[in-house]
This record gives sequence, C-alpha cells and structure tokens, in this order.
Amino acid sequence: MSSTPLKRPAIAAALLFVLGILAWEFYQRKEGVNISYDDDGPLWAYHRARVYQPADQSTVFIGSSRIKFDLDIDTWESITGDNPVQLACVGSTPLPVLYDLADDPDFKGRLVIDVTEGLFFSTNPGNRARPDKALKYYKDITPAQCASFVLNRGLESTFVFLDREDISLNALMEHWEIPSRPGVFMAPIFPRDFDRVKFDRQEYMGPIFLADTAQINKQRSIWALFASMNKKPPISGAPLDSILQTVKVATDKIQSRGGQILFVRTPSSGPFKEKEAMGFPRDQYWEKILAVTGCPGLHYEDFPEISAYQCPEFSHLSPTDAIDFTKHFIRILQEKQGWKFPKMKSI
Amino acid sequence: MVFNSYTFIAFFIVMLCLYNLPIAWKARKIILLLGSYVFYAAWNPPFILLLWLSTVVDFFVGRALYTQTNVTKKRLLLVLSLIGNLGMLCFFKYGTFLLENFVMLVNLIGIDFSPAKPNIILPAGISFYTFTTLCYTIDMYYKKSEPVKSMLDFSLFVTFFPHLVAGPIVRPPQLVPQFESPRNATMKQMTEGLLLLTLGLFMKVVLADGQLAPTANDIFGNSGAYLALDAWMGVLAFSGQIFFDFAGYSTCAIGVALCLGFVLPENFKYPYAAVGFSDFWRRWHITLSAWLRDYLYIPLGGNRQGQLKTYINLMVTMLLGGLWHGANWTFVVWGGLHGFYLWVEKFIKDKFSRKNAPVDQDIAVAGITASNSSLAFIYALFTFFLINVTWVFFRATTFSQAWTLLSSMFGMSGDVEPALTTLAIIKVSVIISLMVIAHWLMRKSSVLQLALKIPWWFLAIVWALMLMALALSQESSSSFIYFQF
Repeated sequence: MSSTPLKRPAIAAALLFVLGILAWEFYQRKEGVNISYDDDGPLWAYHRARVYQPADQSTVFIGSSRIKFDLDIDTWESITGDNPVQLACVGSTPLPVLYDLADDPDFKGRLVIDVTEGLFFSTNPGNRARPDKALKYYKDITPAQCASFVLNRGLESTFVFLDREDISLNALMEHWEIPSRPGVFMAPIFPRDFDRVKFDRQEYMGPIFLADTAQINKQRSIWALFASMNKKPPISGAPLDSILQTVKVATDKIQSRGGQILFVRTPSSGPFKEKEAMGFPRDQYWEKILAVTGCPGLHYEDFPEISAYQCPEFSHLSPTDAIDFTKHFIRILQEKQGWKFPKMKSI
Repeated sequence: MVFNSYTFIAFFIVMLCLYNLPIAWKARKIILLLGSYVFYAAWNPPFILLLWLSTVVDFFVGRALYTQTNVTKKRLLLVLSLIGNLGMLCFFKYGTFLLENFVMLVNLIGIDFSPAKPNIILPAGISFYTFTTLCYTIDMYYKKSEPVKSMLDFSLFVTFFPHLVAGPIVRPPQLVPQFESPRNATMKQMTEGLLLLTLGLFMKVVLADGQLAPTANDIFGNSGAYLALDAWMGVLAFSGQIFFDFAGYSTCAIGVALCLGFVLPENFKYPYAAVGFSDFWRRWHITLSAWLRDYLYIPLGGNRQGQLKTYINLMVTMLLGGLWHGANWTFVVWGGLHGFYLWVEKFIKDKFSRKNAPVDQDIAVAGITASNSSLAFIYALFTFFLINVTWVFFRATTFSQAWTLLSSMFGMSGDVEPALTTLAIIKVSVIISLMVIAHWLMRKSSVLQLALKIPWWFLAIVWALMLMALALSQESSSSFIYFQF
C-alpha cells in the first residue's frame, strides 16, 4: 500500500470540487442570475458603522422594504454627492433602529424614516426580529467576524452561487415547495428574482421577475396572504399614543444633538394602496406622526410627479421607477424642505 | 474565531505556511503560540488576560507542587490552584446563576432582596482550558507526571489553538511530549487531517446548522405543547444537531492538529451506537468523561468503598458533570438522569452479570448481554431513546418547557395544531436514520480506517460532495454549541 494512500483521492476530490462549483456557477449565470448579497447581520452592521459622517455629507435611511426598493442609492449618490447609508430592514418596523440611533450620542446626522404604517406601528414581535438581530450582531461583533466580512465580500462579489437567499442548499430545497400537513403554516417562497440585493443594501426586482407575469402575480398573492393573516384591527388609542410618544422622545434626542429628521411615505398602488388607506387613514396615522414629533414629512400623494407610479406587485417600485422617484425626491427635498447637498450635481 | 469561518481558513493557511518555514523549532513553536493567541483574541481580546493569568499561575504552582516536600505547603498550593481556576470559572460561568439562586433563597425566607442583574460575559472556552490546567496541577500534586520544563511548552499545551476553546480536553502527557522535538506533518498526516477537517465542517455547517438546527429551534423556541410527531422530530433534530455540532468541532480540531503534525485524543466514537449508558460515556465527549472519572469520581472513592458509596460517587460525578455544561438547574437534572440510568445499569450488571456470561464483550456492557448483534442493535435503539429523553432537559431553558415537551412526546399534549412542515420532517427522519445506522455500522471502526478500505475514486467523490455541500450551504458562521459551556 502507498505510504500516502489519501493523496490520490485528495487531489481528485479537489479537482471534482473545483469543476463542480465552476459548472454550477456557469449554469446559474447562463440562467440569468446575477450577484446578490446576503442581507443579514454582517452587511447591516458594516453599514451601521458608517452613520457617523457629517450631516451634510451623508443621509441615513431607516424603514421597511419600500425605502430599500424605492430609493435608488446610485442615483442619490451620483446626484447629491453624499454617502447614503441604507439601514432599513425588510418586513420590519424601523423603531428599534430609530431608538438605537437616538441612544447613540455620536449620531448627529441626517435621518430619513420610511413609514409603511402596517409595519411602523406593528406590535408583532416578528416585525422587529430582523432589526433586533442586526443590532445585536452590530453590538457584539468580534474582530474575527469583521475579518470574515472582508473576505466574504470579495467572494460574494465574484461568485453568483454564493447567493444564500436563492441558491443555497436550503433555498433550493424550499423551492421544491413540498405540500405540508394540513394546519401547518408554510411561509410563502418569494419568486427567485424578486428581491436582489446590492452591496449598498439597495434592493431591486430583477429582470427575470419583471418579465414574468406569473411571478409578479405570485408575489401579489403573497402580499394578499400576508394581509389576510393579520386579523387584528390596526393599533389605535392609548397603545398608538404610547408608540408615538416613544418616537417623539427618540426624534427629540437626535434633533437636540443637531441631527435632522424627515419622515417619508413612499408609493404603493392597486389594491394594496386601497387597503392601506382603509386600515391606516392618513389623518389618524401619518399626520399624527408629524404632529406629535414636530418633524417634517413627505407623503408621495402630495406630489403629482411621484403619486402615480404603478408598483409591479402593488407595494414596491420597479428599478426604473425607483430612479425616477429618487430624482424627484431629491428635488422636492431641496425645494420644499430646504435640504442642501454641498457636493450636488445637476439633475 | 470559529473553524467554520473564512477568517479561520485564511488564518489556517497563514499558520501552515509560517509553521513550515525552515527555521528553528523554538521559533516555530513561538509562531504556534502567537497564532493561538490571535485565534483566541479574535473573539474578545481582553479575555486573553485570563488565559495568560491561568497559564502563568499554573505553570509556577505546578512546578512548586511537584518539588514541594512539606505536605501542608503542598496542600496550600493545591488549594491556591483550585481556587484560582475554579474561582475564575465560578465567577464567569456561575456568577449570575449563584446570585439568582441566592436571591430566590432569601426571598423564600421573606427577605426582600433584589440586586441589579450582573452583566457577566462568559469567556470562550473557559470550561475547557480550566480543566486542562487543573489536570496539570492535580497531576503535579500526585506526581503523576513530570513538570513541564519550559514556559513556552506549557503555554502551548494550554493554548494550542485546535483544542483551546472546545476540546478535546488534553492531558499533559498526551500533548507536552509532542512539543519537545521538531514535528512536521507528513503527507499522510496532512491528507488525513484535511479529510477530517472537511468531514468536521460538513457535520457542523451542513448537517447541524443547515439541516437540523432550524427544526430544533422551531420546537425548543416555543414553550407550547406539540403533537407527538412534532415533539419527537424536534428532540431528534436536537439530538443530531448537538452530535454533529460538537463531534464536528472535535473532528475539525483533530484534523487541524494533524495537518500541523500533532495528534489529539479521540473525543467521539459513534455514541448513538452505545449499548447502555456506560458505553455511551465511553463514546460521547470521551475526554470529558475520562477527566471526570480520573479527577472527580476516583478521588471521591470511585467503586472502592462499598456499593452505596459507589452509587453516591456516580451520582455526584454526573450531577457536577451536568452543571459543568451550563449554569442552569436543567443541566443538573440532565446529569442526574444520566446518573440514574447508570445506577440502573450498574444494578442490573451487579445482579445478573455472573449468571449470564456475555457473548460479545464489546456489546455486553453494563450487564446487558446479547447473543446476536440484532438484539444488541435493539438495545442500542433503546439507549438512544432514553438519551433523547435526557436531551429535552439539556436543551429546554425551563423545567416547565421540558415537562410540556416530554408530555407532548408521549402523546399527552391534548388538542394542538401540527407545527413542522413535511420538508422538515423528511430532513430530520432521513438524517437521523442514516446517522444511527452509520453509528452502528462504524462502532468498531473509524473514519480513517474506512477511508483506507473503500475504493479511492469513491472516497474522492464523497469528499468532493462534502465540499460542494459546504460551499452551497452558505450558513453564517454560527458558534459551536459547546462554546457556551
């Protein structure tokens, strides 16, 4: 027997592995899949650490998925010349992040808070799980995790197959959509190309999704399912006032340090818009936020140029509309809110 | 840092390159030591001070213990070492637990006392390196081995990164002699080490974190009742998760050390093929059970002071062994259950062993005799069933949750909705069945023996598939369960 009996299988295994991974990578690329980053704690923590830039050079965005889809980071960056920091979390209330920034004496920057009423005012613990997890990761991060993030960034920027959301082993198994036992809730599987993520945490719908009506309809039905699951009436009365008061305390803290805050309501359309209008009448929620906190706000319905978008799945803008929305948003901020961008380029 | 991270892969490659530089052996050992400190500090840098303190104190106390002839002084030195090591462990690991129990006690007798909750962070691996240094000073007290001559070798013995944070718990004679002369990994060791590293990572990342943890978390994450099927699937998932997680870590540690030319002791030997609980503890976390046997059970008197004392010693050892795993009474009950099973087994052995001579010594442990392997397999399945019952207390955070889950497992949950998806049930059923079968088939063998037996091309395919599964799993680099102990 050879004195190194495992040498041959080791070399063969390495070759097979490299060939297998490359074949898988080429197959995914051929299918039209592109790079998408894992939008989990490490990426969020990286951007959270970037909030300490001067207010006239950076804007921090918090909220739910809408601001992630609707605000085009590249457009914002190229026009305003400042460094946007996207800290919104999909399917989540922004309040844990708002409270964290308020309690951070070093944060004195410009903050845009996206309001999706159903999530913003949610008391469901599930709607704060992501921001809580991200904040915990940020606070407990170790030097080893920082180093892993740097290495991972290089790999994730190179290989499509490292897309955890859609092509990981578990994601592939989930896509089998094996019917489950009666009575077991199965979290719906989002269409593969619906939510792609860039390194700056910009979320966007991919071309495969946008070209496939069946996938768009599937996503619409998922939103409808989520809406039907929530049987509770929207929060009102004392619990609502209590949330508003804590928001006011947080916004006051930031403003007292020289920070600047703006609330924004981004577009929705179709049945989604109608249900939101019924569940969360503007005067009882949106107007109340502004009245209680005394902060300025920008509601898309107040501006004709951004009020008529048709969201493909009723809730988020397509990438093209996101660019358009961002351009108008910047202009409105300058004209109506007096925002200044020292490094601004012309629109 | 954890083995299942990009940081470790980069660190390991750098370490391999530096360690194999054509320089003096002492310089290479210094590289290993500095690398080990980087490995530890990458977690929480300030805690490295504790590691240094423990190393320096035990090096000098150990030497003094060996040379001291005055019995009183010798005992004082041992007490100093025990207080130093166990005091540190008690403060960091059991501080909050002790305070909570004290508060509960004084409240029970009517004293209103509610101190602020202390915010104590547990240093990674403190339970492991404390046991490593403790066994050195105790060995020195009994003059079981020679004191380590150089501070460098002793520091490396305590800090050697493959075993530092989660074992295997090494004894001085197992590792220190390996530092005395230059060591280079042979090609055989290197390839075997890489195979073990791949297998360990596959167990941890793909099986434990990727496939079993979500189901275990779903069931143990809520304190409600479940249908028996769901409850069993959750417990079986945890049973597999903890094995793949911890045995995966040990396999990685042994593989990494082998790539550097060092041999670490075996820590797991197909525990779910155990026939009885004595057999289980010879297969599960072997280095801990051996430590508890040699440094707790035997010093307590072992089985040398009559039957009653033997039973008491056995239970004390298992209760403390349970507490070592975590600062919660549920861990103590877990240890107590194992102690109880060992009692029953010993009782059966004492009563029947003389009447029925075992046919196969290997499977006829603890008095259970089997005339054929299929009957032994049934005994092994029964042992596995009982082990799963103990895992409920290990994983549950409260007794109420443990009782609810146990009731659910035995169909006493009443009218509840099903919880787990079909996919989760399929995953757990397939993985756990294959795991139990593999343990049974491999119970007298080892991975490396098997790797040498099967055709090389088949091994290459299996190896490549494990690597592919690792690359496709994309699980975040979560900590190993045993890091918290």
